[in-house]
Amino acid sequence: MAGLASSFGSGAMTNSINELAQVDVVMVSGSNTTEAHPQVARRIMAAVDRGAKLIVIDPRRTPLARRAHIHLALRPGTDIPLLNGMMRLILDEGLADEQFIAKRTENFLSLRDHLFRLDLEEICATCGVELADLSRAACLYARAYRSTFCYCLGITQHICGTDNVKTIANLAMLTGNVEKEHTGVDPLRGQNNVQGACDMAALPGNLPGYQALGDEMVRAKFSRCWGTKIPPAPGRSLLEMTHGGANGPIRAMFIMGENPLLSDPHQAKVAETLQGLDLLVVSDIFMTETAKAAHLVLPAASFAEKCGTVTNSERRVQYMHQVIEPLPGCKSDLAIISELAAAMGLDLGCASPAETMEEIALLTPIYGGMYHHRLRSSWGLQWPCPHGDHPGTPFLHKHFFSGGKGVFQPTSHVEPDEGVDGEYPLTLITGRIYHQYHTGTMSRNCPSLERESRAALLEINPADARAAGLTEGDWLELASRRGAIRLQAQLSSAMTPGQVYTTFHFHEAPVNRLTNPALDPIAKCPEYKVCAVKVMALAEPPHQARDEELPC
Amino acid sequence: MLILSRDNLLPFLRRLSHGRRLVAPLRNPQGDTLYSEIKDIDHCRLDLDNQPQASLKPFFLPQQETIATYTSQPAYGFAPQSHHRPTIFFGVRSCDLQGINYLDLTFSTPGRDENYFARRQGALLITLVCNRPFANCFCNNTASGPSLDHGYDLQFTDLGDRFLVEAGRSRGEDILETWAPFFTSARERDRQQQYQLALEAQGRFSRKVEVEHACRLLAQGEVHDDIWQELAARCSDCGGCAYVCPTCSCFTIRDQPLDAVSGERLRCWDACTLQGFTAMAGGHNPVAGEHALKRRFLHKLKYDVARHGKPSCVGCGRCLDICFGQLDITSFIRAVVARDEGD
Repeated sequence: MAGLASSFGSGAMTNSINELAQVDVVMVSGSNTTEAHPQVARRIMAAVDRGAKLIVIDPRRTPLARRAHIHLALRPGTDIPLLNGMMRLILDEGLADEQFIAKRTENFLSLRDHLFRLDLEEICATCGVELADLSRAACLYARAYRSTFCYCLGITQHICGTDNVKTIANLAMLTGNVEKEHTGVDPLRGQNNVQGACDMAALPGNLPGYQALGDEMVRAKFSRCWGTKIPPAPGRSLLEMTHGGANGPIRAMFIMGENPLLSDPHQAKVAETLQGLDLLVVSDIFMTETAKAAHLVLPAASFAEKCGTVTNSERRVQYMHQVIEPLPGCKSDLAIISELAAAMGLDLGCASPAETMEEIALLTPIYGGMYHHRLRSSWGLQWPCPHGDHPGTPFLHKHFFSGGKGVFQPTSHVEPDEGVDGEYPLTLITGRIYHQYHTGTMSRNCPSLERESRAALLEINPADARAAGLTEGDWLELASRRGAIRLQAQLSSAMTPGQVYTTFHFHEAPVNRLTNPALDPIAKCPEYKVCAVKVMALAEPPHQARDEELPC
Repeated sequence: MLILSRDNLLPFLRRLSHGRRLVAPLRNPQGDTLYSEIKDIDHCRLDLDNQPQASLKPFFLPQQETIATYTSQPAYGFAPQSHHRPTIFFGVRSCDLQGINYLDLTFSTPGRDENYFARRQGALLITLVCNRPFANCFCNNTASGPSLDHGYDLQFTDLGDRFLVEAGRSRGEDILETWAPFFTSARERDRQQQYQLALEAQGRFSRKVEVEHACRLLAQGEVHDDIWQELAARCSDCGGCAYVCPTCSCFTIRDQPLDAVSGERLRCWDACTLQGFTAMAGGHNPVAGEHALKRRFLHKLKYDVARHGKPSCVGCGRCLDICFGQLDITSFIRAVVARDEGD
C-alpha cells in the first residue's frame, strides 16, 4: 500500500479484474492465485488460453507456476534484486519506454545509475535463478504491448515489503506498463473488504480516502463534521498494539471480526498482551480463540444479516443485501458501535447504513458519488467516483498519475531478518490453502470445507523429509527460535529443498507461534513469509492433538 | 392441442395455484432470474425470456434438508422428517424437466427415496419450449430440448400473443378439462407456426457439442491420460459444476447436534469432484487427484449411457459459466473427439 502510494500517488489495483483476460503478458509474483484468488486466476487462465505469456515468480511450484511459460523460483526474500536484474536487462536491451519515462515520470536518472552499478551474475546467485530465464522474462514483459504485474502477500509480508512494491512500480514505469487499459500493477487483496478497510482509514496515518492525517485542512474538515478534535499524531500499527506486552501502554481493546491470537506473528507475545489488558471486548460471529480470551463478547451479525458495502481488490464498492434478520442476540456492526457510543453519551448520528454511506461520500472525495441507491441495483462502482453522476473508474492513472508524475525510487536488496543457520536450517514460508479461510473462524465451521482439509500439513521437499527421517503423513515438530508446533508432513516436489510451507488456518498448529515479528519499517507489516525453522520427527502422534488448548 | 391467450395466462395460473405453491422463473431486484415461489402473482416479474440461473433440482433435492431428528433424553428417539408441499412449476425449461426425469431414476433404484418422491408426486410440471436457445445451450445434442415429445404434464409454446398448450401425462389432460373455459382449440396455422418456430430454434444454437460421438468413443475405449491431466490441472476443486447440474445428485449425511440431548440428521449436497468425497478416515484416498474428475465425466457420458441408454447431461450449459478453469463438460467432449480425430 505505502509503496504503491509513494510511486503512483495511489495505492490500489490499477486495473479491473476483467481486463486481465485480455493482457498479452502477465507476471505474477508472491501469489498462489488459483487457490487464494480463483476469480483472478480464471481471468489469467483465459488470457493464457488466448495466447498470453505467463511468468510466475514464486519460491514454490504453485499450481499456477506449473502452467507458467517461465517460473522463476527465487530464494524467499530476494524480490528486489530479481526485479532490479530484470530492469537492468531491459535497459541493456534498449527496451525501456523512453517517451513514457520522459513525459510521465521523474527521478529516472537515479534509478538508471543505480541499475548500472548492479552485477547480473551476482543477482542470479543471490536469487537462485538462471540468467537466461531472467532475461527471457524481462524481455517478454518489456516487449509486449499489454503487460500486467499482479502481486500479493508474498511481496508485502517481508521486512522490505514497501521497497518490494516500489521496485515493481519502477519496473512498470520503466516499460510504460501503467496508465493504459490492460496494463498496470495489481496488488490482489486477501479478503472481500481489505481494500475497503484501507479506504476507510484502518491505517494509522490516514483519514478516510487516504487523506493525510498530517494535513490541517483535512483534520479541520473531519472535525467540523464529527464535532470533535482530531489528534494530529498517527495511531498505532497493529503489532504495536498486539505486541505491547503485559504492561503495554494500551489498557483496553475492542476487537471486531479479527482473531489476532492466530493471525499475528509471535503468538506468545500476543497472548501475553491480551491477558495483560484491563478490558478486552471482542465482537465476532463465532467464538474465536481471541473471543475466548475476552472479558466481554458481543455476538455480531453475519454478512447475510445486515446490509452495507464492501470494496474489493479492483476498488469496486459493492452493496450487500440483507437476506435474513439477525439471529436472536446478534447485532449488526453499526448497531454495536452506535449503541456503545450511546452508552458513552455520544450520538453518532448515523441511524442506517445508507446514512453512514452518505457521510462517507460527504467527507471522502474518492467515494463522493457512492450512494446506496446507486449501488443497490448494480454490480457496484469503482473508485475514484467523485460525484453522483460519475460512472466510476475501471483503471487508474489514465493520462497522468494521481500523484502528478510517477516517481522512480531505487531500492536495494534487504536480507530477510532471520537467516537460516546450523541450528535452524530450513526457511519457513507461510500462506493459505484453497479450502480454508484465514484463521478458520468461518471456514472451519463448514463441514464440507473441513472435510476437504481438516489438519495442518507441512509441505516439505522429499529430500529434506528423507534427511529428517519423515515419510508422508508422519507427525513432526516444527520449531523456530520463538516456539514449536506439531503437525503432519506432506511430501511435495513443489517445494525447493531447504524450504518448507504451511498455513495459519489451524488452531491445533498455530504457525504464528513460530513466525518472526520483524516489521517493514514503513507499512509495519510483519515478515510472515520468512523465518528459520527446524524439523524433528515425532515417534507417535501428539496426545489429543485436535483438542489442544491455546496458551490463553 | 389447445390455445391459451396471453391475457389469460395469469388468471389461469392464479386459479391453478389455489391450495398449491406456484413456482416460476422470476427476475429478482438484483437482476437474477431464478425459479422462485410466487407469493403475490400481481406483483412479481415473471421472466420467460432468460434462462433461470439454477435448475429445478433444489425444489426436489434441497441443498440442505432435515431428514430426521433425534433425542437421547429422556429416552432415545429417532423421528424421520419429510417436508413437502404440492407445487405447480410453470415455465420449466425442457432441459430442467429432463433433469428431474433423470433424478426419478436415481432416487427410485435400488430403494425408493421417500422424501424425494413425496415432493415429486405433489409436483405439476408445465414446461415452456425454448424458441430462442441461450448462449451456452446444447440440448439439441443431448436430445433434451428445446421442445419435448413427452415427460411433461403440460408443454407451452409461446406463439406471441398466445400459447400453444400440449398435454403429456394424464394429470395435464385433467387440468385442461377442469379449466376448459380458458382454452380454445388450436388451428392449423398455430401448428404451422409451432413447426416454424421449432425449425428456427434448431438453427439458433450457437454451440455444436458432439455428445453422441464422444459417448461412442468412451464406450469403446479409455480416455487418454493427457486429457485427464490437463483437466485436473485446471480444476479448482470448487464443486460448482455439480451444484448447478440438474442431474448431479450426490449427497452426504451429517448429524448436527442442537443441544446436549438432541440433534438433527441433515442431507446436504455433495460433489464427487471434491477430493474429500472418497477420503477415508485414515487419510487415504482411493480416488484422489484427476480421478475425481474422471468419475463425474464418465458417469454422465459412459456409465449412464450403458445403464439407461442415454447420457445424463441435459445440455443446459450452466456448468460452462460456473467453471473457473473452463473445464466444463463441453471442453471434455471436445478434447475426447479431437484426440480421436488426431489419432
